[in-house]
Amino acid sequence: MRAEAHDETDLLATLARKNAVLQAINRIFHEALGATTEEALGRLCLAVAEDVTGASFSFMAELNPARDKLHDLAISDRAWATFNRDWAGEAPLAVPSHLELHGLYARVIFDEASVIANHPADHPDSIGTPHGHPQLESFLGVPLHRKGKVIGVLGLGNRAGGFREIDQLAVEELAPAIVQALCSKRDELALRESEQIRRVSMSLVPAMLWRTDAHGRNRVSNGQWELVTGMTDDGQTSDWLKAVHPDDRERTTTALRRSYATGEAMELQFRVRGREGQYRWYLCRKVRVGDIAGSGEQWFGAATDVHDMHLLEERQRRLVAELQHRVRNILTVVRSVFARTVEAGGALEDAADHFRGRLDALARTQAIVTQTASGMVDLENLIRDELLSVGVADGAALTIDGPDVQLPPRTAEAIGLAVHELAINAVKYGALKMAKASLDIRWTTDMDCGDGPRVHLIWVERGVPAVAISPERQGFGTELIREALPYQYGADTHLTFMGGGVRCSISLPLHEEGKTH
Amino acid sequence: MEDEYFIASDLKRALEAEQVTVVGPVGSVADALRLIDHDGVDIAMLDVNLGTAMCFPVAERLRELGVPFMFLTGYDDWALPDVFRDVPLLPKPFVVGDVLAAVRRLSDSETVQ
Repeated sequence: MRAEAHDETDLLATLARKNAVLQAINRIFHEALGATTEEALGRLCLAVAEDVTGASFSFMAELNPARDKLHDLAISDRAWATFNRDWAGEAPLAVPSHLELHGLYARVIFDEASVIANHPADHPDSIGTPHGHPQLESFLGVPLHRKGKVIGVLGLGNRAGGFREIDQLAVEELAPAIVQALCSKRDELALRESEQIRRVSMSLVPAMLWRTDAHGRNRVSNGQWELVTGMTDDGQTSDWLKAVHPDDRERTTTALRRSYATGEAMELQFRVRGREGQYRWYLCRKVRVGDIAGSGEQWFGAATDVHDMHLLEERQRRLVAELQHRVRNILTVVRSVFARTVEAGGALEDAADHFRGRLDALARTQAIVTQTASGMVDLENLIRDELLSVGVADGAALTIDGPDVQLPPRTAEAIGLAVHELAINAVKYGALKMAKASLDIRWTTDMDCGDGPRVHLIWVERGVPAVAISPERQGFGTELIREALPYQYGADTHLTFMGGGVRCSISLPLHEEGKTH
Repeated sequence: MEDEYFIASDLKRALEAEQVTVVGPVGSVADALRLIDHDGVDIAMLDVNLGTAMCFPVAERLRELGVPFMFLTGYDDWALPDVFRDVPLLPKPFVVGDVLAAVRRLSDSETVQ
């Protein structure tokens, strides 16, 4: 009877233990879902193991890949509470790592077997406890296995009355569940991290990224399409084509169909309408990827905004064309000016002088035109520069007077060339040569002309004795003022050689558009 | 049509020396269209870039009327719109002999038409 009673007690105790372990396992897997870190899950498992065994504190550690050190996975909440109480202000803030493989817990790993030490100080492997560690009265260490290998140890301390065999059995039964929960949590966290990295990377990449099935349906994207176009994509229909420029739609659908039919990668540029209604160029690439995890053939697509590149290319093309135009035009003009200068006759030295002067004047006006492509040229500065170029500075005989006028580049070009011709003439034959002669340069602006505002410039020489008109004076300068300015710049000009000197009036539009007539 | 006076004037002189009657030159699209519609032209030489405008409206009008024309330009042909790629092109700076030869070819093509 006694034996039976003993068996019955054992049976009941075993049943109770099995039941407690099952409940403990259930609790681990149930609560594991909510744990956000391995360490939190570790503390949960330790709390369960403490509850099952009645231990006062516990820890769990894992072998490093080299299997020569231990890293603590977790220290139980009760252990932390003891630490913080006994070792106030000095307790470590995080679980320790790089623990040497020695002491009672290392014995568990070396022997790949559980160890119960109810008098730990007397145990041959005892190394004592580190500073701050609660006094160790009893110890139960259970190895943690994974795929037939020891990967770590679970250590429990201080059960009232010491640890029993059934405590060891309970923890050994619990151990695989703990390892399983930890590994799952680790995989789950790694997956979540890689998913997060993927998500963040995809949202950071300045590109539309998407994935579809073999028919272009079931699209999943990184949301850039919605951001750019303001359209929602249902992932099923071809409604997205409505945001593609009408001129690009047909070749886009043709290219898409061809690539789905042949399975070949696609690369295409087309314009997409943004949420503000403006179109921008996109470079679109699409590749086929074979079966992924049984979900069938898939296509991955990416589209990047290449609009600025298009604009730059276009701008570069225009600039090169403009440069060609200017260079070739100016060469043609230079040749024409040269021919006219030579035709006027005179000594070679004189012709060379004239030509050089005109070339310099052309160069100055070209510089002005290109330097002020978007800006304006001050009329008074322009006149003074031209006079200076022929060696004329301020003097009593010279009057320069008029309101502040800012000339558009082409008007400045015309006035610059004309003033150069007038100045050269005055230096050689007119008011800037004669001692008692004077030169008045005055201008006004007229804002109420029919064709828009104009500037009126008057050049009057006085006190120049009548001289025979030099053939040169009827040459280039005269043609420039009488013919070229009206033809090319829409000017009204009057040029006379009266007694007393040259009189010239030039009226020019102040707007670029007013050039033609 | 040429907006640069000295170039226009040189061309006119050279052509007149060859007994060509020059009804231009004009420097603007508006003047060119007026000239085409009022005076009529047999052949035309168009400067592509008129400083503040391009000559293409004039080229289109000439094409409608079947008047042979050529471009006179500092541009290479790749800078021209596709529709005018087949128009004869005389690059600047030009040599008078080339201009005259081109005009002769144009007037021959007019006779053929």
